Amino acid sequence: MTRPPTTGRRTSPRIVLVHTATFRQARQFVPAIIPVVAAMGLGGGTVTVVALVAGVTLLSLATAALSWWRFSYAAGPTSVVVTRGLLTRSVRTVPNDRIRGVEVEAGPLHRLFGLVRVRVDAAAGSADKDEELLIDGVSRDEGDRLRTAVLTHRSSPVAAVDGEPEAEEQFARFDNRWLLYAPLVGSYLAVPFAAVGALFRLAQELPERFRPDLDGVHVSGLQAVSVVLVAALVVLVAGSVVGAAVVNWGFRLTRRGGSLVAARGLVTRRHTELEIDRIRGWTLSEGLGMRWVRAARAGALVTGLGDAARRGQLLPLGPREEARSLGVRLVPDPGPLLPHPPAARRRRIVRALAAGAVVTAAGAVVTPLLGWWWVLALGVALLVLGVPIGLGRYAALGHAARGSSFAVRSGWLVREEAVLQRRAVVGWQVRQSPFQRRAGLATVTACVGAGRGGYVAVDMDAAEVAPFTAAASDRWATDLAPR
Amino acid sequence: MTTTRAPVREPAWPLSRSAIGLWVTEGVIASLFLGVVAAVFAIFVPPDAPAPFPLLRWLVPALVLVYAVVAIGIRPWVRFRVHRWEVTGEAVYTLTGWLTRTWTLVPISRIQTVDVTRGVLQQLFGLSTVAVMTASSQGTVQVWHLEADVAQQVADDLAHRAEQVRDQAT
Repeated sequence: MTRPPTTGRRTSPRIVLVHTATFRQARQFVPAIIPVVAAMGLGGGTVTVVALVAGVTLLSLATAALSWWRFSYAAGPTSVVVTRGLLTRSVRTVPNDRIRGVEVEAGPLHRLFGLVRVRVDAAAGSADKDEELLIDGVSRDEGDRLRTAVLTHRSSPVAAVDGEPEAEEQFARFDNRWLLYAPLVGSYLAVPFAAVGALFRLAQELPERFRPDLDGVHVSGLQAVSVVLVAALVVLVAGSVVGAAVVNWGFRLTRRGGSLVAARGLVTRRHTELEIDRIRGWTLSEGLGMRWVRAARAGALVTGLGDAARRGQLLPLGPREEARSLGVRLVPDPGPLLPHPPAARRRRIVRALAAGAVVTAAGAVVTPLLGWWWVLALGVALLVLGVPIGLGRYAALGHAARGSSFAVRSGWLVREEAVLQRRAVVGWQVRQSPFQRRAGLATVTACVGAGRGGYVAVDMDAAEVAPFTAAASDRWATDLAPR
Repeated sequence: MTTTRAPVREPAWPLSRSAIGLWVTEGVIASLFLGVVAAVFAIFVPPDAPAPFPLLRWLVPALVLVYAVVAIGIRPWVRFRVHRWEVTGEAVYTLTGWLTRTWTLVPISRIQTVDVTRGVLQQLFGLSTVAVMTASSQGTVQVWHLEADVAQQVADDLAHRAEQVRDQAT
């Protein structure tokens, strides 16, 4: 090594075993091995297979050991340095004040060996994988030490106030009963579908003689159909609950000094750290099914956080009141939302009916010509559905601004309310189409350097735009007011 | 229904008149391109093609003609009447669009970068665009088609003032 070895620390040698088992480094040789194997053929029977398995394992062990040997890291007072690479040496230095967050995660194998993986998230905005440092395979204590070292060395005013041990305060804790909400959440419902899909693919690849003989089974009758439906429903419900449990098991949100630490996961345990000073607001999202049972999820809007949807979670799933009170502890609520004018309701309904109207018109033309009556039926069905959808979309609209924060809400399939600090706004955008101009409405976007980048109040009363923007951001926004 | 007044005030300054020339040129280029497409369509579709084609043979050139009239004869002037910009004591303010109008206000204290760009056509007309970027992906202000020297002056002034009043910028 050309670098002075005193500064570098090694990861734990036990990581070599983990990486051997997961073929982490050896994976890149797979494209090279396949043609070799293909050339030799697999005709030799058991001996060849055993030799192959042993060879691949040895190769994996060797590459894992080599990469462990050539890897070192150092968390200095001003920066974190990671040195790696077998032939091409790479030294990556990340200044401490560019570090946005540290994530400590432990997969099942890591947990078996008492190891963790530390992910240091650097640089803003872009969620590029190259922007982060990965220190894989340090002991749990060393992981915690590294986390605190990196975060306290950072020149942020909150983390370095005094030498006192950081106070811990519990913000939220996942109640396992909340897992019962999972079947009503779209993203968890997708889990069983994916599992069933994978199962079918596996069944396709099984050799013929292992496949269960389904040809002899004939399903018929109402009873059989209902049995299948009930079974599917059970699989769907159970699968989504299990999926939610795996991801969210033991979710806990605590405040430690100037940051929020979220821990969760059944198989892979993950600790994510958010700096409270960078939190600009929070969102409360409720899907169509979740609104039924008054469930919601809460997420933090953090400036310069990559992969914000996952890392910014405050409460993955829970009762709405719980989620809301959690958000209010970070950024206060501006009070009840003001509904948008009746013209906005008209506009929502017209827009929701537009698709149905087009299909109905097409149906009215083709039914006498070609006899495709179903086009007309579909159009009418869409028209009928359009009314409740339009009303639902209108009911979601609202905005409020008071004190140090403001809120906007919209969405029907997923209704999202965003509560933001006044200081979060880095710009305003007001849009008005010719139709909105006639109806006296305007759409206002608060541009924010966090989360999605912009939060929208759709179809606000045009006369309210200037007062709202003035109330929801600092003095500069009074430039918008008509003179 | 009566036409209501604008939701927010208008920025004070109009663009350079050369912008009209630029927009007309853009309209001419786009129309020529579409005209070529329509001509190719008319040449390659046989005259005895089945059902919808006889209609399309008239419809396509008609639509191109309408587009050309709007893009060359109407839109540049409407745009020039709508587009306005202003740099106030604390913010950059623009109004853009021709049918749908967009007002954008960005405070100087939150400006992160200021760009001046000159496209090929813009150079012919001696114009530049000033783009002001913030921490938000949606909070970008573009002041289109200023005279090149004005644009440079504005950009320098904004960058200088942003440095002085900059608070957290996020």
